[in-house]
Amino acid sequence: MTKFSKELVDDLAKKLLIGLSSEENQMVLDEFAIIDENLSKVDDFENIKDVSPMTHALDDFVFSLREDKASDSVPIEDLLKNCDQIEGREVEVPKVVGGEN
Amino acid sequence: MDKTILELHELLKNKKISSQELVAESLKKSHEIQEKYNAFVTILDDAKGTDKIDHLLSGIPFGIKDNYSMKNVLSTGSSNTLKDYVPFYTATALQKLLDVGAIPVNKTVLDEFGMGGTGTTGHTGIVKNPWDPTRMTAGSSAGSACAVASGVYPYALGSDTGDSIRKPAAYCGIVGYKPTYGMISRYGLFPFASSLDHCGVLTRSVCDAAIVVDAMKGIDEHDMTSWDSKDIHLYENITKSVEGKKLCYIKELCNIEMYDNPTEELQNHLKNFKEKIELCKSLGMKVDEVSIDPKLLNALPSVYVAISCAEATSNMSNLTGIIFGPRGEGDKYEEIMMDHRTKGFSPLIKRRFVIGSYILQKENQERYFKNAQRVRRLLVDAWKELYRTYDAVILPVGTGVAKHLDGSKDILTKDTAALEEHLQIGNFGGFPSITIPDGFIDGLPVALNITGNCFEDEKVLQIAYALESKMDYKNQIAKEVK
Repeated sequence: MTKFSKELVDDLAKKLLIGLSSEENQMVLDEFAIIDENLSKVDDFENIKDVSPMTHALDDFVFSLREDKASDSVPIEDLLKNCDQIEGREVEVPKVVGGEN
Repeated sequence: MDKTILELHELLKNKKISSQELVAESLKKSHEIQEKYNAFVTILDDAKGTDKIDHLLSGIPFGIKDNYSMKNVLSTGSSNTLKDYVPFYTATALQKLLDVGAIPVNKTVLDEFGMGGTGTTGHTGIVKNPWDPTRMTAGSSAGSACAVASGVYPYALGSDTGDSIRKPAAYCGIVGYKPTYGMISRYGLFPFASSLDHCGVLTRSVCDAAIVVDAMKGIDEHDMTSWDSKDIHLYENITKSVEGKKLCYIKELCNIEMYDNPTEELQNHLKNFKEKIELCKSLGMKVDEVSIDPKLLNALPSVYVAISCAEATSNMSNLTGIIFGPRGEGDKYEEIMMDHRTKGFSPLIKRRFVIGSYILQKENQERYFKNAQRVRRLLVDAWKELYRTYDAVILPVGTGVAKHLDGSKDILTKDTAALEEHLQIGNFGGFPSITIPDGFIDGLPVALNITGNCFEDEKVLQIAYALESKMDYKNQIAKEVK
C-alpha cells in the first residue's frame, strides 16, 4: 500500500485534474489521518472479513427490467445551451488525437 | 405564510385568500430573508399563483433545494462549477409537486453539492441561522431550513446523504423527514453518494411533512431504485394511536455518564431528551434502554466519510466544464478541466475527492472502501436487530444547539462524537427517519430523532406526530435571540 503523503496527495489531485494549494494538501492529510486511524481499528472486529460489504441501502431490493419504449430524445439545441463553446450543433474542444494542433 | 398546509388550504378553499396573495407574500418574505440570512441562490420573482385547489398543496408556495433540477430555471448545486447551469428537464419529485399546483418561489442554498454539514460552503456564501445569525444552520439543506424556520413558506425540499435534512431541521427548530430509501425518486437530484442519497422535506409540523411526501413519492421509471409505495398513506394514517408501540434509545449515546467532562449544554440536551422519553411513556409507549458496541458506534463517522467520498468521486467525474459549466482556460483538454475544477470546487470538496480517489485505488479498496462497507452492514444489522423488538429508535440529535459560525470547519476531527453523527445510520440502512424539535437551550432549539425500519414510514410518522402533539414546538417560527 502506498503511504499517504504530501507527494501522493499532489499526485492524486493531478490525476483528478484538481489543483490543490499547500494548505488544502495539508487539510487532506489531516482528515485522512483520522479516517486511517479509525478504519485501522476495523481489522480488530471479529470475523470482519466474513462480512459481506454493503453496497446499497436496500440490499434486498428486487430489480425488474423495464419495457423498451421508443421516445423522443432531447433536442441537441437544448443540450448545447449549457455549453460555453459550440460550433453549429457540436461541442468545440481542443484537438485530442493526432499530435500537435 | 406562518400557517400549516391544512390552514392555508382551508383559506384558499374558502376564498379568504388567493394563491397569488400567498405567492406575493412569500416572495416579499424571501427578499427580506435573503437580505438577513442569505438563504437563496435564486428567487423566482415571476412566480404566479393558481386557481387550482383540488390538492392540499395546490396554490401554496414552497422552496426547492438548489440540487433539484428544474427545467429552464438556474440550478447550481451551490457550486461555481455549475453557476450558470440551466437544466433541460425537471426532477421527478419536483414535477409531482408542480403537477398538483404547488408554486415554487425560490431555490435554496446548500453546502456545495450537498457535501457538507455547515451551510457555509455554497458558492453564494454562508447561510445564517434565523434564531441567531452568529450560528450555522447546519447543512447541507441550509437555505431550506432557514427559509422554513423563518416563515417564508410551510415547506421546502431537501436532500439527505448523511443528515442533510435532519441536522439543519434540528438547528433551526423545525421538522426534517427523509423517507425510506427509494420512496421518492432521485431522478433529477444532483447525485452526491448514490447509495446514501435520499430526497425529503423540511416543514414546521409532522403533518405537513406527511402531506408533502405523499405528493412527492412514487415509483419512477427513471430511477431504478424507486419502488411502488401506493399502499403507504402517510397523512391519512398519521393520527393512529401509538399506544403499545415500543421504542428504544441507546445507552452509549444518551447517558451523560458515558461522556468525559460533558459540557453544560450536553447535560441539558440529554436531560431534556430523557424528559421526552417520559413523555413517550405517558403516551402509552414502552421505552427501553439498549446497548450497542461502542467500537461500532465510534467507527461510524469514518465509515461514512470513506463511503461517501468514494461514491462522490465517481459521481463528480462528469464535471469537466466542457459540455456544461464554465469553460476553463488552457490549450489542452487537461488544462481546461483542471482550471475549471481548481477554480470551481471549494476546498472541502476538493479534499473529499482526493480522499475518495485514494480509497478507490485497487490496492487500497480492501482496507478502506470494503471495510467501510462491511462496518456499514454491521451497523445496519445491529439496527435491524433492534427493529425485531422495537418499532423505532429514538435519539437526541447532535450534542446540543446550532454551533457558532466561527467554529465551523466541517472537518472530521478526532473528537467527533458518535452522538453528532449517528443520523448517518438512517442513510446506511435507508431507514425512514424524522427529526422534530424537542426543546430549547438558552433560547435556541434542540431536537430528537425517530428512525424506524424500512417501509415503516407510517409508523415512524405516527410516533413523531403523537409526541409532537404533546410538546409546544409545532409550527414554530424563528425568533432571533440575539
